[in-house]
Amino acid sequence: MRIARQNWWTAGFLAPSVGLIGIFVLIPIALTVWLSLHRWSTATPFGDAEWVGLDNFDALFGGDLVGRDFRQALRNTFVYAGVSIALLIPLSILFGTIVHRAAVRGTTLLRTVLFATYTVPMIAVAIVWSKLYSPTEGPVNQALGWFGISPQPWLSDTSSALISLVFLNVWQQLGYFTVLVVAGLTQIPPSVYEAAALDGARNVKLLFRITLPLLRRTLLFCVVIALINAIQVFEPVATITQGGPVGATNVLTYHIREVGIERSQGGLASAMAVTLLLALVVVVTLVFALMRKGDDR
Amino acid sequence: MRRTSRYLALLLLAVCAVAFAACGGSGDDDNGGTTASGGGSGEKVKISFLTHWAPETVTAFERVTAAYEADHPGVEVEIRAVPFADLLTTLRSQAGGDNGPTMASIYDLWLPELVRDGVLSRAPAANQSEVEAEWPANLAAAASVDGAAYGYPNEVDLYALNYNTRLFRAAGIDGPPATWDELVEDAKRLTVRDGDRITQQGFGLISSWAAGTVHPWTSLLYSNGGELIDSGGRAVLDSPQAGEAFELVDELANGAKVSSAQMSTADANTTGPYLENFVSGKTAMIIMANWWESALRAGMRDAFRDVATAPIPVGPSGDAAHSVSYSWMTVVNGKAGDAEQAAAWEFLAYLNGPDSGEEGHSAMAALLQSMGILPSRTSDLEAYRGDLDRDFLKAYVEELPNAKPFPIVLGGQEFTEALQRNLEALQAGQMSAGDAQERSQADAESVLETAAG
Repeated sequence: MRIARQNWWTAGFLAPSVGLIGIFVLIPIALTVWLSLHRWSTATPFGDAEWVGLDNFDALFGGDLVGRDFRQALRNTFVYAGVSIALLIPLSILFGTIVHRAAVRGTTLLRTVLFATYTVPMIAVAIVWSKLYSPTEGPVNQALGWFGISPQPWLSDTSSALISLVFLNVWQQLGYFTVLVVAGLTQIPPSVYEAAALDGARNVKLLFRITLPLLRRTLLFCVVIALINAIQVFEPVATITQGGPVGATNVLTYHIREVGIERSQGGLASAMAVTLLLALVVVVTLVFALMRKGDDR
Repeated sequence: MRRTSRYLALLLLAVCAVAFAACGGSGDDDNGGTTASGGGSGEKVKISFLTHWAPETVTAFERVTAAYEADHPGVEVEIRAVPFADLLTTLRSQAGGDNGPTMASIYDLWLPELVRDGVLSRAPAANQSEVEAEWPANLAAAASVDGAAYGYPNEVDLYALNYNTRLFRAAGIDGPPATWDELVEDAKRLTVRDGDRITQQGFGLISSWAAGTVHPWTSLLYSNGGELIDSGGRAVLDSPQAGEAFELVDELANGAKVSSAQMSTADANTTGPYLENFVSGKTAMIIMANWWESALRAGMRDAFRDVATAPIPVGPSGDAAHSVSYSWMTVVNGKAGDAEQAAAWEFLAYLNGPDSGEEGHSAMAALLQSMGILPSRTSDLEAYRGDLDRDFLKAYVEELPNAKPFPIVLGGQEFTEALQRNLEALQAGQMSAGDAQERSQADAESVLETAAG
C-alpha cells in the first residue's frame, strides 16, 4: 500500500518533466519518422501525406541525384564534425592547461579573449569570416602574402571550402570548450599531482598519466557537445557558401532545409533527418563503448 | 549508464532541431493564420509584403505604402525584406502561419509548385482581366496556371554580355565578341596572370548561385540552337548543341583557363566576388542580367562608363543571339484570411496600376527602374521609353524580342540546382564535358519524372 502511494508520488513529480520531453522531443521524433514513410509537401496539411513505405529511404541510398546529394551532405557533415572535434579538443586542453595555471601572467586576459569569441553570434562570425576569406581583397590572403605565400582559394575551391568553415567553427567554439576543460581541471585534486611529482613525474608525463585520464569524463562531454554543435552547423553555409562549390559545403541541416522547405519535399527531408538520427546514435554509442573499454582497462 | 542516458537525451534534443527542419512546415488547416488584426468594421486590416529588395529600394517602397495608407485608412501595409536566398524558404515556411506574409514577390519558376501546394490565391476576376489586358500575353501567361492568373507580373529580366571597354582597349580589342570562337580568343587576350594565378580573368563563370550559373549557360545554349526542355516536357540536354555548350565551359575554365573559380563565386545576397571583381576591373567579360545595373553603378561610380553591353555570342550551331528571360510577379498568400486577401489584391492593383506613380507609370515600375530592371506593364514600357534607351539597358531592350523564357515546370528549381551542380563540377575540372552532359540529362530526367508524380 505504502509502496503504491510512493509510486504515485514519484509519477506525479516526474510527470511535468516527462510530459515536456514527450511533447517537445518524442512526439516530433515520432512525427518525423511517420512523415519519412510518406510523400508529403511541407506546404500542405499532414492529412494530405501519401503513404510510400520505405521509398524515401530507398531514394536516399539509390544512385540517382537524390541519393548522391544526400550521401555527399552526410559525408560533409561527418567530416566537418570529425575535423572540428579533432582540432577543438586538443586546442581546448592546451589553452585550458595554460589558463588554469594562475601563476602564468596574462591568463585572465587570455580566458576573456578566448570566451569572447563564443559570445559573438554565429551569423556575425560568418559574415566577418566571409570577408576575411575574400580571395582577392581578404586580409587572410594579404597576411599570407607578407610571408611570400600565394593567395589561397579558401571558400571557392572544393578541396578547401569545408575545412575553411571548420576553422571558423573552431575559432568561435574554442573558448567554450576551454572553459569546460578548466572546470574539469579544477576537479583534479592537487594532492594527486604532488604525489606524482614525488614519484618523479614531470610535465609531459603528468599530462598523459594524470591530467588526461582524470579529464576523461569532461572530455567525453566535450566530444558529445562538439559533435552536436557541429552536426547543427547551418549559418555559415547558408550565409557564405550555400552548400557550394559543387556541393563541397552542403551539410545535412542545410540540405534538409533545402529539400524540406525550399523544394517542399517534407517526406524525403524527414527520411534524411531520421537517417541522421540513426547515424548519430551509432556514433555516440561507439564513443561510449570506447570510453567504457578504456575504463575497464 | 545513467550518464549515458543523459548524453543520449541531449543528443535527441539536438536532433529534434534537425527533425523540425523537415517537419516544421505548416501543417495547419487551409484557413490557418492570417496577419489580420481584425477586418471587421473599425479595425485596420494589416497586410504584409515579402520581398528580397535592397534597403534603399525598401525605403522607396515605404513611401509608396505610406501614400496608400493615407488614402486607405483601414489598411496597414508592412514590408518584410529577406535575402534572395531566403525568399522562397520564408514564403513556404511562413505562408500558413499566424504571421505569414500576405503578399510576396516571387520568381516565375516557383509558381507551379506554389499553386499546386495551395500557397497562392487565385486572382479575382477583375484583377485577372487587368493582367490579361495590360500586360504582354507571354508575361500574363507566365503568371498563370491552367489559364488562371495568380499574380501581377512586374519585372522582366534577360541576359547580355557585359564587358569592360577599358580592358578591351588595353588588350587592343576593338569590339565585343559575336561568336563563341571570338569569345574564347578575346578572353585569352584579356586574361592576365601572375605565374599560374589569374589576376584578371577574361570571362567570369558565376558559381554558388543557381540562376547565376545556369541562366548565362542557358543563354549560350539558346544562342547555339539548343533547348533545356522540349515542347513535350522532356529534358533535351543530350542534344549536340548542349554538348557544345558544355564543351565551351570546359574550354573557358580548363582549356584556355581564362576563368577563375575564385573570382566568380556569389553569396546569399547574389553579390560577392563575381560582382566585386567586375566592379574592380578584374573581370573583362561576364554574362549577366539587366537588374545588376544598380549594383554596378553603386560600386563603380565614374568607372561605370567603361561598362558596355552586347548580345550573347552565337555558338557554332546557332543562328542568332537568344538570351534566356524570366519574370517576377507579385502574388497573394492563399492561406491568408478573406479580408486580407481582398485588401492585398486591391493594394497590388494600385501598386502595379497607372495611378500609383507619376506621369502615367506605376509605382512598381518606378521601384524597378531605380534598380535598372525592366518593367513589364505595357503602359509602363511606354512611359519609360526614353529611360530604356540608355547605353547599358539599350542592348537588353533590343534583345527582348529574341529572348526565350526559362522553362516553367514542376520541379524547375530542383532542375536548375542539379544543372548548376554539374556545371560547377565541370568548371572545377571534376568532370569532363561529356560526363557533365550525361549526368545533367540523367538528373533532369529524374527530377522531371519525380515532380510529375
